[in-house]
Amino acid sequence: MPKLIIDDIPVEVPDGTTVLEAAQSVDIPIPHFCWHPALGKAGACRVCAVKLLDGPVKGVQMSCMLPAMDGMVVSTTDDEAVAMRKSVIEWLMINHPHDCPVCDEGGECQLQDFTIAGGHGIRRYDGRKRTYRNQYLGEFIEHEMNRCIQCYRCTRFYQEYAGGTDFGAMGRAAIVYFGRQDDGPLESPFSGNLVDICPTGVFTDKTARFRARYWDYDMAPSVCPHCSLGCNTVPMARYRELLKTTARRNDSVNGWFICDKGRFSNAGVNAPERPRQALVGGKPVSLAEALDALATLLGEFLELHGPESLAIVGSPRMDLAGNIMAARLREMLGAGTLCLFNETDRAELTGKAVSLLTTENSSSQEDMRNADLIALEGCDLLDEAPMMALAVRQAWRSGARVYMVGTQNEIQSAMAPPFTKGGPGGILQQDQTANPPQSPLGPRGSFVKGGHNREATALPFAFEQVASLADVPLAEAKRPVIICGASRTGLESIGEILSDSTASFDKGGLQPALKLAFILDGPNAFGCAELARRHHGVALSTALADGRIKGIISFEADLSHDLPQGITVLGAADWRPTGLMTRAGVVLPTTTWVEQEGIFVNNEGRAQRFKKVMNPGLPIKGLTPELHPPRVHGIDAPGGDVAPSARLIAMLMQRLGETMAVEPLSGPWETLKDLDATGAGVMIHKGEQE
Amino acid sequence: MIPTQLRQELEERVAQAITPREAAVDVMKGLQGHYGWLTDEAVAEAALILGLSTLQVEELATFYEMIYRRPVGRVVVHVCDSISCWAMGSETLLHHLEQHLGIAAGATTADNAVTLLPCCCLGNCGNGPALMIGDRLFGPVSPEQAAAIIAGHREDQ
Repeated sequence: MPKLIIDDIPVEVPDGTTVLEAAQSVDIPIPHFCWHPALGKAGACRVCAVKLLDGPVKGVQMSCMLPAMDGMVVSTTDDEAVAMRKSVIEWLMINHPHDCPVCDEGGECQLQDFTIAGGHGIRRYDGRKRTYRNQYLGEFIEHEMNRCIQCYRCTRFYQEYAGGTDFGAMGRAAIVYFGRQDDGPLESPFSGNLVDICPTGVFTDKTARFRARYWDYDMAPSVCPHCSLGCNTVPMARYRELLKTTARRNDSVNGWFICDKGRFSNAGVNAPERPRQALVGGKPVSLAEALDALATLLGEFLELHGPESLAIVGSPRMDLAGNIMAARLREMLGAGTLCLFNETDRAELTGKAVSLLTTENSSSQEDMRNADLIALEGCDLLDEAPMMALAVRQAWRSGARVYMVGTQNEIQSAMAPPFTKGGPGGILQQDQTANPPQSPLGPRGSFVKGGHNREATALPFAFEQVASLADVPLAEAKRPVIICGASRTGLESIGEILSDSTASFDKGGLQPALKLAFILDGPNAFGCAELARRHHGVALSTALADGRIKGIISFEADLSHDLPQGITVLGAADWRPTGLMTRAGVVLPTTTWVEQEGIFVNNEGRAQRFKKVMNPGLPIKGLTPELHPPRVHGIDAPGGDVAPSARLIAMLMQRLGETMAVEPLSGPWETLKDLDATGAGVMIHKGEQE
Repeated sequence: MIPTQLRQELEERVAQAITPREAAVDVMKGLQGHYGWLTDEAVAEAALILGLSTLQVEELATFYEMIYRRPVGRVVVHVCDSISCWAMGSETLLHHLEQHLGIAAGATTADNAVTLLPCCCLGNCGNGPALMIGDRLFGPVSPEQAAAIIAGHREDQ
């Protein structure tokens, strides 16, 4: 634990910490471009110069390259260091265009900030600037090479961190070009992180270019709803339009990055076909009137058929409060069925997976990154949980052994082609024509790169193939992790391993360190499984099978099969234009995750709060003059008469005679009331609140 | 297409390496020897032999000075323009050669015989100004000596 002094402040840091990080630990900012916490150092930009006044090293040094050592006395404000930084900034700016006002990065540009902070304001260089031709990198990322300052962050992320092979650094010396060999869409499913990681405007989000400045955005800490991992994000919106999504750091979960599916699936929120108008029998009404009508319909239905013929349908896509309220509604009505999953299998397997997880054995993405052995069983990481593939790659880069359970055929049919060449860079690619997207989100919300033939990318790590989980040398590892799709075979073999390991652990055998991760279906699948267990929920298929159900009310549910015609859909609440909405007697438009506060419980059982980013309503872009500015007095924006499902249910319950105010996060969920959206989240495994 | 024998030689070279990337320069030089310069086709062939993407081969090809990604003449003259040679008169040497050959630095003579390339340090700083043709280093060379050396190589071709 070296002790050093930085700007008169004594600092003690762990071995291996750089002077730059040591300074950051006491809130002394040192400018940096090439250094990044997730990528480490490159020593490429020279802008983090500090002066060492005393100790084992003296003089001006690069603080990102220098490990903190005992006795160092560091000054960030020394004249020589300040002059050096100022010169470096001036030199970096020689070829950089002086056109911040017309650059999309302006206002959120590290180079702009450090140029101003470094005191370089007047240009002395009057020579010709080095210029490049930009490349077409696909529909998501714009390329402006003239802005490049050669920090190498992009290629270090793309090739080293994410395992991409189609983008890199070409040339040398004064002509270094970061790009692809030929124009074409970037192939990595993590390419969008170039936008976040570039310290200036070489890579910008094409889907949101020139739509707003940083200070215009509505933003808030949020959680990605596009798979079960719960990666942390900052969605950015303006004028009621979700413009873009950026990664938010959470060291336990996604680290610094998110996948392209999470970043570029914003269109559904702004989609014109999104339900924004409450309907009763197809007739537009206000939300309050729709709820009145639903309460009446419900009353009549219960009187006619009895409460046991009603199913209240929630969804792993809906936030925790909405699902809790669905359970409360069921309780209030006295009977009926609570269905939080559609399929019998899905409900059973998710429940089983969740029951196997405890706070101790649940593997976070951080645990995966630090694992020394990883076994994969029955999952397609890049399709179902892309960030897990990135986490496994980090473990593999640090020497972890990775095993894929299954026969060659199973593995090939389950995913993109396997590795045939060991070692970095041995990634094979295969042409695969993606089906044209049916909706902006594609089937099941899966991401289809806009209009292009997506080249299926292989997993970004090498693995050994084994026939069964029993063949994986788990006992040899210190920090093993098993990643498993919530499939029957997977769960069975994990059950065996667990019982074996408990047995041999009792004999002083196997390690207690074994961690598990399941890939679930939906951002709140874990929460729904917990609720289903507490409230005896059953899958909708199961409920329909026994023939008693005659009507349903659904909240943000996707039904993967056609509901029998005999079943009355009394009401359906959603923000997505699902088939159920067209059949519902009462249509209740809801808010999306960016228009409400809520909680998703991710695949590990981590409850994470997301905050409201923007007010709901039709995006101003595209509104006809009749709708904007509004000619009718009112407090809601056009298309803004929507509400979170939890509130819709609470209002419905009031209409049905509930006299008490209904607070979803009460009783066993009370602990989540003060959940901090910017923290690491809270584990809610079985028994934690009981 | 490259001859099967060359392909086999290069594949053996890769097989001997601990990581394929380590054999990249040898593979690129082998292909360049065959084509005269590293053609786009050669980049794709190198990528296949090395198990890298074409971009990754391109990264290496554009880094190394002696790998030519554009057509060159039969004789390629590298004139060092790094600091030691510069101090010993490499600028004058380069200008003389430009005039002598009737081409600008970086260009190839019309008869496709000679390409003149300024380059960074040849590691011959004690003998500046230096130049290099193929695998042979020369230095110190006067403009006249340089012209004679080039003439000699021209005849050999």
